[in-house]
Amino acid sequence: MLEYIPIIMFFSVCVVLMAGYPVAFSLAGTALLFAFFGNIAGNFDMAFLYALPNRLYGIIDNATLIAVPLFIFMGVTLEKSNLAENLLNSLSKLFRGFKGGLAISVVLVGMLLAASTGIVGATVVTMGLISLPTMLKQGYSPAIAAGTVCATGTLGQIIPPSIALVLLGDILANSYQQSQLSLGIFAPKTVSVGDLFLGAVIPGALLVLMYVAYLFLITNIKPPATYKFSAEKAKQEDIIQILKSLLPPILLIISVLGSILLGVATPTEAAGIGALGAVLLAINARSISLDLVRQVAQKTTEITSMIFLILIGASLFSLVFRGFGGDILVESLLSEIPGGVFGATFLVMIIIFFLGFILDFIEITYVVVPIVAPALLSLGIDPVWLGIMIAINLQTSFLTPPFGFALFYLRGVAPKTVTTKDIYKGVIPFIAIQLVLMVLLSIWPSIATWLPSLKY
Amino acid sequence: MNFKFIGRCESLALNIDHFTEWTGRIVSWMTLSMVLLTAIIVTLRYFFEVGSIALQESLTYMHAIVFLMGAAFTLKRKGHVSVDIFYQKFSLQAKALIQVLGTLIFLIPVCIIILVLSWDYVINSWAIKEVSRETDGLPWVYLLKTLLLLMPVCLIIQGLSELIKNFLLLLKYKKNKSCGKT
Repeated sequence: MLEYIPIIMFFSVCVVLMAGYPVAFSLAGTALLFAFFGNIAGNFDMAFLYALPNRLYGIIDNATLIAVPLFIFMGVTLEKSNLAENLLNSLSKLFRGFKGGLAISVVLVGMLLAASTGIVGATVVTMGLISLPTMLKQGYSPAIAAGTVCATGTLGQIIPPSIALVLLGDILANSYQQSQLSLGIFAPKTVSVGDLFLGAVIPGALLVLMYVAYLFLITNIKPPATYKFSAEKAKQEDIIQILKSLLPPILLIISVLGSILLGVATPTEAAGIGALGAVLLAINARSISLDLVRQVAQKTTEITSMIFLILIGASLFSLVFRGFGGDILVESLLSEIPGGVFGATFLVMIIIFFLGFILDFIEITYVVVPIVAPALLSLGIDPVWLGIMIAINLQTSFLTPPFGFALFYLRGVAPKTVTTKDIYKGVIPFIAIQLVLMVLLSIWPSIATWLPSLKY
Repeated sequence: MNFKFIGRCESLALNIDHFTEWTGRIVSWMTLSMVLLTAIIVTLRYFFEVGSIALQESLTYMHAIVFLMGAAFTLKRKGHVSVDIFYQKFSLQAKALIQVLGTLIFLIPVCIIILVLSWDYVINSWAIKEVSRETDGLPWVYLLKTLLLLMPVCLIIQGLSELIKNFLLLLKYKKNKSCGKT
């Protein structure tokens, strides 16, 4: 019974979180209660907690994590200065005269926007507000429109430079070292955020491609009866105008990504330049004011602080978890799963999928991944592949009715004419696409691992 | 209950909110400075081939100030993410009760434990006036570590305000209910 305390603690936290008090404090507070009573009962040594200040200073001193506020600054600037909205308008004009053009533009803009903010809620809300009314006006069925917006909003988990991948990369790097040291390898190989970004390129592109293919097929073969389509194509001079307006933001994202992927810049440097670039674009579009910069700065502070406080809460949680022997328990449970490596991975993925119903990626990255990743990695799993699988898995979880996060956020901003049933129906094809990609990745891990392997 | 006392509590909460809001606003400009500083670092490195550890470390200091000193501000603005699947359907009274209990059972004890555990760690750093490990680094590591004490203190102060506000909300409901009966 006693050795299962870590598991009980974990499920207690999940229950406590349902009350709706901020995650960071609920995590740390519940762990603290367990530590306190464990100490009284004599099962917990308070000395475990003395590592906390050092852990916290480790968070301050971590150079990789500085990329987080900078990427958020870039994303919030793109969003608040209406650059994303203008981008969508130009793209849909460009695709006028092509069936499914608007839906495909939504996916492409969502991909760019999601990549820069990486927060599911923010992207779904923004895309929902900008694109849902336009899609409905063009006669897309509510289900297709809602499904497209939800799925697009979750792309930020996987399309680099996603914040999810920055955080995951940081955690996986530690777990990878830890697992190799425990196997007796004292010159451990490393894995970096850049590796994870590289690994995500092909799976992310495949995903977007499948989304686009699905939308193209459904609007061309079996368009909804209400679908209004004008065959009138954009005029030539308009096209040049549109391309001109599309060029700067696309160049921005590509240069940020390219410099990281080519290894020219660290993620932090690229994020800083990207943020500055976003401000310059906003100045160029004359959509900037001192007040807007103030709003961006304050929003960035809020989101950054929110993420790091969860990291701090999770460090306290994981110290207590270890103090109760949780890491040893998880490792032994995972190695006893029938089906070996595949069985263990499958089980972890299922657990993460269900946890995705109640926790956002930040919590899962900081609470669950550090617990399971060292065990899985010592079974010989590639860290890049594991990171990508976790990201896609979470993305699927956020899309899945009835608890998916993206669905709630969209419900919040969708007009009454879009029923909840429409939203559920609309996401099903996208969930199927996600599952196909995960199966492909399981059969051919090189989809994720091939690009990073070229680096060496 | 003593009305004068309630009035005092109310104005205390108001003052705390004011204080937190302004620290947050000032700290938030640090994010813009981070963007500009990164651009300077990159320019120096790629165009002039100058790498400055002091500049890199200033970035770390700014980042730490943003997320540690922004914590209370984020609490005030209700920016700390929570699981609101059920919470959003609760009555205002239930929400206030959860906030009161959460502050008392989670927020304040967690902050106190961080404060207690970090105390010696920070004091030791001050005692030797700890400097950067790098030769050209900044000599203020003890100040940076002090943030580990300032964060929980600011959070406790803002927590007090949240406690007062939600507690008064609960009192108001109770009073309305008893008024309705008579």
